[in-house]
Amino acid sequence: MTSPAEADTEVVQARRPQPRRGVSLRDAGPPIALVVVFGVFAALSPGFRTLSNVQNVLDAAAVLAVVTIGISFVLMMGSIDLSAPGIMGASAITVALLVANNRNDNDLGFVGIAVAVLLAAGLGCLSGLALVLLKVPSFMATLGVSAVGLGLATLLFAGVQPNIADPMLEGWAVERFLGLAHLTWIALGCVLLGWLVQRYSRLGRYAFAIGGAEEVLALSGVRVAPYKVAVFTLAGAFYGLAGVMVTSQLSAGLVQAGRGYDFSAITAAVVGGTLLTGGRGGILHSTVGVLLVTVLTNGLVQVGVSPYWQGGVQGLIVVAAVAAAVIPQRRRNQVTK
Amino acid sequence: MKFTSRPTAAVLGVALAAAALTGCTETAAGGGAAGGDVASGACDPADVTLVGQVRNESNPYEASWLDGGDAFAEQVGLTQERLTYDGDSTRQQEQISQLLAGDTECLVMNILPNGDSDTPPIVEGAEAAGAYLVTQWNKPADLNVADYDSWLSHITYDGVESGRQIGDALAEAIGGSGGIVALQGILDTGAAKDRFAGLEESLAGNPDVELLDDQTANFSRAEALEVTKTLLTKHGDDIKGIWAANDDMALGALEALQQAGRDDVAVVGIDAVPDALTAIEEGTMTATVSSDGPWQGGIGLAIGYCVATGELAVEDIAADDRAWFAEQFLIQQDNVADFVSPETSEADFACDNLFSRSQGAIS
Repeated sequence: MTSPAEADTEVVQARRPQPRRGVSLRDAGPPIALVVVFGVFAALSPGFRTLSNVQNVLDAAAVLAVVTIGISFVLMMGSIDLSAPGIMGASAITVALLVANNRNDNDLGFVGIAVAVLLAAGLGCLSGLALVLLKVPSFMATLGVSAVGLGLATLLFAGVQPNIADPMLEGWAVERFLGLAHLTWIALGCVLLGWLVQRYSRLGRYAFAIGGAEEVLALSGVRVAPYKVAVFTLAGAFYGLAGVMVTSQLSAGLVQAGRGYDFSAITAAVVGGTLLTGGRGGILHSTVGVLLVTVLTNGLVQVGVSPYWQGGVQGLIVVAAVAAAVIPQRRRNQVTK
Repeated sequence: MKFTSRPTAAVLGVALAAAALTGCTETAAGGGAAGGDVASGACDPADVTLVGQVRNESNPYEASWLDGGDAFAEQVGLTQERLTYDGDSTRQQEQISQLLAGDTECLVMNILPNGDSDTPPIVEGAEAAGAYLVTQWNKPADLNVADYDSWLSHITYDGVESGRQIGDALAEAIGGSGGIVALQGILDTGAAKDRFAGLEESLAGNPDVELLDDQTANFSRAEALEVTKTLLTKHGDDIKGIWAANDDMALGALEALQQAGRDDVAVVGIDAVPDALTAIEEGTMTATVSSDGPWQGGIGLAIGYCVATGELAVEDIAADDRAWFAEQFLIQQDNVADFVSPETSEADFACDNLFSRSQGAIS
């Protein structure tokens, strides 16, 4: 009896998972790319390497960071989310109409912000419900919710731009703490919160597991559907906050507050290593991606690349960065679709 | 591959040539046939249907355009059908097809085509159905209004002129010398190109004004905010003025200036959106240019209405008035009050006064 048991133990020890070389390289790729891109721009442009420009880059990354955190949870799950423009628009107009503004006599201050974020979470929840109850693929469900959000925003907009007069909300973009705008600190708070949720909460861990192997999770007795809805709701709340932040920056509620953020956030997430296949990457990866994209946008202007070239150059660098990030995966027999 | 593809290419080539030839014949035939339908122009004023179509009402300028259309309709005792297509070319064409499938005998359409390439199908459709059409802003340069009978007129604005006007106003505001930066619109649009060409003309006339940098912010307020912040860190106090190809970008630039604590920079834009007018009133913005949206909404319907009711014959519209630049207005602090709540005047829409704002034919 003893000898087979000993043999088993030996086998188990031999199979103990060893960290693969590729794993560490995959995680290190995007940060290395960030450092390289930063270094290249710093060498080329004296304006780029100033402290005030670094502050500027961090401030500019704030809104994209919050949107990307939201979208990262959905991507980790292996779904896709295109609802950011609509949800941000709805939230931007809502908050602009609820805090002190030029359209009505509301002055709800913080409550107004909370209502806008809740509304956004509700819209996110709608995407999730359409996905799990009606079995609408996330691509279509979220595209539909985006249209609903834009429709809602257009109705509330009613032809007159709401400009905000709330000192707190306006102050978020203007006032600084330790050299960074309040909005940037809010974004940093979101990164921390997102990371904690991903790392320590059941929601975050299941999101990862769903993206990795949903069937295995379901077969082991986990009811997956509620977690999917919760992830979309959480993402919606982040988009809502981002919409509020755009409103603070522009001092006005715009229907188009979130235009283009869906694809820039997906780009940032993927560049950072949160892949569309799900189950990989995470909040910190995506944050690196956001910084990479923002540094790129800023650096190309600082270096003085002609605006006619910038779009193309930016696209090339992004593709190169993603290619570099997935090289370790290409070594294994992984299919790229 | 080479041998199989050659015959294919030949067949394709022949097919294409045939299609092109058929296309030409069809156009010619369509133009001739529809002429008979349109020449009548004897609608009872009460039977005229007025339609105004713009991208969306969430854009204050386009909303004011439709309001101007309503004002004209009220003036002649009718109502205007307000259509919006959310900047979606397909939806625009669907709406037009639906309109043209109905009763088109006394249909008057004042249309803002989504882009240059959206104009030809609208024109062909209106011509075939005999509906009276006026288009504004977008038209391919080689599409000639005079070749059609139903397409009464195309109105647009000289972007070079507006770009130059605000360029000059900016130069004057910074005392004739100093550095400026330019925020361009979507680079592959005619509006962005023309307006920037206007700035270059203005710079040629103001040799002491230096263009430090030009970037694109795609006509977007949010993008202009980020780009301006970056330009402010790049050029710092050298920036005395910001030239923006539209007001949305100018307003984004104003936010960036406020966040950077700069109040010594002059900002100019184009379009005269309400927020820009407020900023000019308050003195934070220097100048903008107005195309007079309500007038645009009214004038297109007025031209169609006058032709439909027979007060104006298509043949009597001068060749120069078939495709023309309309007058635009430079707005600064001294005259901003006149534009804050723009109103249309009945005299502008009288049948003998329709083309009074013409600045000349589109060359």
